[in-house]
Amino acid sequence: MRCTYGLTAIPGTDARFFSPETSFLRLRRTFQPTRIKFGSFKIKAKIDEARKEMSFYELLGISETGTSLEIKQAYKQLARKYHPDVSPPDRVEEYTERFIRVQEAYETLSDPRTRALYDKDLALGIHLAFSARRRYQYDEDLEDRSEWKNRWQSQLSELKRRSMNRDAGGNMSWGARMRRQREELSKEL
Amino acid sequence: MKNLSIEELGKLADELREEVVYTVSNTGGHLSSNLGVAELTVALHHVFDTPVDKILWDVGHQSYPHKILTGRRSRMHSIRQTCGLAGFPKREESIHDAFGAGHSSTSISAGLGMAVGRDLLGKNNHVIAVIGDGAMTAGMAYEALNNAGYLDTNLIIILNDNKQVSLPTATVDGPAPPVGALSKALTKLHSNREFRQLREAAKGITKQIGGQTHEIAAKFDSCMRGVVGGSGASLFEELGVYYIGPVDGHDVEDLVYVMNEIKSMPAPGPVLIHVITEKGKGYAPAEVAPDKMHGVVKFDPKSGKQMKSKSATRSYTQYFAESLIAEAQEDDKIVGIHAAMGGGTGLNLFQKQFPDRCFDVGIAEQHAVTFAAGLASEGLKPFCAIYSSFLQRGFDQVAHDVDLQKLPVRFALDRAGLVGADGPTHCGAFDTTFMACLPNMVVMAPSNETELMHMVATAAAIDDRPSCFRYPRGNGIGSILPPNNKGTPLEIGKGRVLREGSGRVAILGYGTIVQSCMQAAEQLQMHDISTTVADARFCKPIDGDLLKQLAQEHEILITVEEGSIGGFSTHVSHFLCLNGLLDGKLKWRPMVLPDRYIDHGSQSDQIEEAGLSSKHIAATVLSLLGLTRGSKCII
Repeated sequence: MRCTYGLTAIPGTDARFFSPETSFLRLRRTFQPTRIKFGSFKIKAKIDEARKEMSFYELLGISETGTSLEIKQAYKQLARKYHPDVSPPDRVEEYTERFIRVQEAYETLSDPRTRALYDKDLALGIHLAFSARRRYQYDEDLEDRSEWKNRWQSQLSELKRRSMNRDAGGNMSWGARMRRQREELSKEL
Repeated sequence: MKNLSIEELGKLADELREEVVYTVSNTGGHLSSNLGVAELTVALHHVFDTPVDKILWDVGHQSYPHKILTGRRSRMHSIRQTCGLAGFPKREESIHDAFGAGHSSTSISAGLGMAVGRDLLGKNNHVIAVIGDGAMTAGMAYEALNNAGYLDTNLIIILNDNKQVSLPTATVDGPAPPVGALSKALTKLHSNREFRQLREAAKGITKQIGGQTHEIAAKFDSCMRGVVGGSGASLFEELGVYYIGPVDGHDVEDLVYVMNEIKSMPAPGPVLIHVITEKGKGYAPAEVAPDKMHGVVKFDPKSGKQMKSKSATRSYTQYFAESLIAEAQEDDKIVGIHAAMGGGTGLNLFQKQFPDRCFDVGIAEQHAVTFAAGLASEGLKPFCAIYSSFLQRGFDQVAHDVDLQKLPVRFALDRAGLVGADGPTHCGAFDTTFMACLPNMVVMAPSNETELMHMVATAAAIDDRPSCFRYPRGNGIGSILPPNNKGTPLEIGKGRVLREGSGRVAILGYGTIVQSCMQAAEQLQMHDISTTVADARFCKPIDGDLLKQLAQEHEILITVEEGSIGGFSTHVSHFLCLNGLLDGKLKWRPMVLPDRYIDHGSQSDQIEEAGLSSKHIAATVLSLLGLTRGSKCII
């Protein structure tokens, strides 16, 4: 069971690889440039499998009641170990993939809200590592973006309205005077 | 590009990303800032028409997609290389680059100038300035906004907000939270639950009251925005700039729609579009890296692993940071200040050791200097680590707040001299000139990393006047470091002789170029010319005894520095003249950076272009000796 949002074309793990949440709405991005993505696909496939086995706590090597300090320390240690820059050349891909997993684990567990959701899932026996965070984040982002759109749409209509009346006689700003001058010049021509 | 559909524009943005990753993986340069603006660049070029419309990129390190789209794709492999494309917008390079950049926060000012010019000439084009949230911490951006709001001319400002305010965007341990109160204000604009709920409530009310005229509803709305919509929006609006946003910076459709709407309005006045992007978007290794892979060397595109060359020695920046830490361990009055360049100045390392004694003020060099002056007046020992070229904008603060009041602020001027791929905008040519002309300033330059550590200690010990020391971009030569990186204060105003010659020639170097002087002496030795080489160490107060000794015991004296005219060599000539040392047989020649800007390229290419390599030094000596045939052999 992966992502419940029907992103079947794209393995539903992380938007950080490809599409932001909004593009899901439009279902574009079916085309992906192949060069970078090939490596990423392999990494993602591996992540998907592995994720089924290890919980975040096991991944970081701490107990489920670990404090946030322990989580942070474990993350730092592992991040340093698996960072692409310091990984041995023949195991770069594997280490990079591990690094990304560790990163996900830290992100989910360091935020108390997402950790709470994750713990809940864990108790139900579901290792939906990423989608807990995704779900919360996704909902929030979705709400945010539609709110943004509403907001700037109304801002634009307000600006339009103001723009109609802006250069009326009363407005003595420099810009208004220049615009009126230009209007008159173009009328004369 | 005009005829592409939205979907095709989206694909174009993806292809641009790919192109950027592959280009930068081969040449090195700025990666993630360019990935973040792929959609924005595509939208801008779709809606507007350069070169008639003017697009200004603040700082300019995010202009690679713009360059690719404006006819320079075939030359992108040469970016930041000698004789190749510049890594920043450059007017001489293309008519589509409206204004050169490199230092931050200049785009709105320049854009306003272009808009006003357009109005005075009666033209009708659009002017768009793209500025990041990091650059918004600089005062100049507000000076420009203030003026723009007052003039009320048509100007579009795009605030590219990716919550990355300092460079690199991480501390040694992980991602750094954005610096400054401003970032919080901007964040409030992103998501304001309460605002939405209130707004819904307000809509309900207006419905009930019914028959609302548009003005009243609009007034209510803007009042609401001022009250609840985050302090950021009303900040811009109070300055007279109309705020629109936030807009999703990775959604081409939204961007194009907003831009088209504004383009179609006859008199929008100054408008600010707040666009939210993610730095490094679309390339996983950049997204997860704590520093987002902002500035990179060659790397492997599949894994993002950088191919950093192994060097026996470390950079001067690192040596500086370590010796500052050593000083600060013994003296708890020492504090570090930098302007959004924790990694570049090495103060990231200092911050790790002394988190409460390291101050990142954001991109605000002027404030950093006067802030340091304030600290010094209270008895603390501030070390201001600012790049030589970035300190240029803080010069009045150095002169008026620090030097005039004789406050003991220490300036660590990194990236002094030629800097390589970043080019003339980042070149630290002028620091000796503008620091040494100040009456109270102690000005020094180390010739290697050991001397650097001693100078850090010297600066720490100078407590009655301001001081500065300059060091270049690059790695040390491998000299032996003092134990525990703790330097010993040098005697102020005393240089040293490194190589005793028995002949007529003396070379006096200032800074790390002394190493090239030593190499020149080796080359001259092969021509049987024995040369004395000295390291001046101090430009101010200058070592008069050393100068007298060199002038009286030799017939030829060459002074060498990697700086412009008006610096060390000028102070030498001043001293020699006033002491009558030029009245006799002495032939003195200065070697300084030429009176023109040196283009970007590798540092060694630039030194050749500037005529300051060891070969050039040796050739100068030979020509003075009348041995011109020999000088041709060397070159």
